[in-house]
Amino acid sequence: MSRDAILRADAVHKHYGDLEVLRGVTFEVGRGEVKVIIGPSGSGKSTLLRCLALLEEPDAGQVSLEGRRPGRGEVGMVFQRFNLFQNMTALGNVMIGLTEVRRLPKREAREQATEFLARVGLKDKAGQYPDELSGGQQQRVAIARALVMRPQAMLFDEPTSALDVELVREVLDVMEQLANEGMTMVVVSHELRFAHHVASSILMMDEGVVIEEAPPEQFFSAPEHERTRRFLALVE
Amino acid sequence: MVASFDTHVFWEALSSGPYWKGALLALGLTVASISVAIVIGFLLALGRSSRLRAVRGFVFFYNWLFRATPTLLQLLFIWDALPQLWPVFAGSWFTPFLAAFVALSLNEAAYMSEIIRAGLLSVDPGQELAGRALGMSRRQILRRVIVPQSIRIIIPPTGNEFITLLKLTSLASVISVHELLTAANEQASVAFKFAEVYGAALVYYLAMVSVLMLLQSRLERRFTFTSAGRRRRVAAPAVPAVSHDAR
Ligand SMILES: Nc1ncnc2c1ncn2[C@@H]1O[C@H](COP(=O)(O)OP(=O)(O)O)[C@@H](O)[C@H]1O
Ligand SMILES: [Mg+2]
Repeated sequence: MSRDAILRADAVHKHYGDLEVLRGVTFEVGRGEVKVIIGPSGSGKSTLLRCLALLEEPDAGQVSLEGRRPGRGEVGMVFQRFNLFQNMTALGNVMIGLTEVRRLPKREAREQATEFLARVGLKDKAGQYPDELSGGQQQRVAIARALVMRPQAMLFDEPTSALDVELVREVLDVMEQLANEGMTMVVVSHELRFAHHVASSILMMDEGVVIEEAPPEQFFSAPEHERTRRFLALVE
Repeated sequence: MVASFDTHVFWEALSSGPYWKGALLALGLTVASISVAIVIGFLLALGRSSRLRAVRGFVFFYNWLFRATPTLLQLLFIWDALPQLWPVFAGSWFTPFLAAFVALSLNEAAYMSEIIRAGLLSVDPGQELAGRALGMSRRQILRRVIVPQSIRIIIPPTGNEFITLLKLTSLASVISVHELLTAANEQASVAFKFAEVYGAALVYYLAMVSVLMLLQSRLERRFTFTSAGRRRRVAAPAVPAVSHDAR
């Protein structure tokens, strides 16, 4: 595996009550790599991402970023349901991390936020509230909100599965551009064309463990496990 | 036509000093009490979901105490029984107005805490998650995200509470606070022109509530988050009004 792994999960366990959601997940992401995670609903994909983003404390095992515990805003997270702050404009959403967490002065935060909104193609929507944006636009604002914190890695939890089909493309395009710029990414998604095209490798999760990992060519043409084969047949 | 209505007496009452003072007193007592009640209620609402069992227990006890007993009894207790239990309250500084203010604030806080709690809970948990993912502290998330969003939900039932409280100030007449109803009663007992003097009091209450309703709708618009400030169709408030129970 890559020696310069920057994001790493080490035997991560997590349970809710009696339910063992993660049963020892180990994997690592090298700088600039894009890992796509697939797997059936309930297999623990979202829980794993929440552990990586430190939104959830693992019961056992460790999460590390460049060998240490990730700091505030160092791992960006994008949610399935966008979760934009409803009481703020698009610009306000992108600014708030800078003013509250990074303690930047308003003027500087506004400049940077505007720049990042432009990067996701939404400069002209700066003054709109989330309710006034399409799902695709909201998700792009959410990406800008995470990116403006200059994270070392970005996590995406099914970023397009709440979107109408015609809006999926604009979000995937932004993500692909980000990958091309060298961002380290972990993406839970069943957009297999995107995975094929952009992923460094693909991971299959089932019942709280990673059952296989391989580069896209190999993963799609010759999956190791019967479970993976059956799942791919279902998704396609 | 009505048999007799002396418009002169009516106008006299409407513009008389005691009415003005009574109305101002009622309004002042209401504004002061609800302001304090909102602050205490907010803390109580936070305490309801505290990690500490003792804190949760205290909130439960507080709300139980103030909701299970008549407001009038609480008022009498604070005015008459407190000085007996603690001599500090026997001093002349402890005026009837102050006693009424304390009683109504504490009482109203129990109701406000339920309203505020429901408002805070109505905010999508995804909002907090997003805040934490950015690295915001719980305090920052509360102040910048959750509280502003819950205000829209909290405003309508708080308006109801304000009206209830305005009417409850008339209870303070029993501990000789000269609010509006006391003024009307005094005039009535002198002139025996009930329609005129009570009619004038009605006008005052109606005027005060109307102004409040106007302020409320402006405030609601202010906390509806669209660029035009008013276009969004607003969902029916999730918080039931609790104002018409007999306190
Ligand atoms: N906060 C939670 N409390 C209790 N159970 C949870 C919680 N989060 C997830 N789960 C449960 O953990 C399992 C895995 O969930 P999740 O990680 O969301 O899976 P996936 O994203 O792969 O669909 C599910 O059975 C889900 O019900
Ligand atoms: Mg999920």
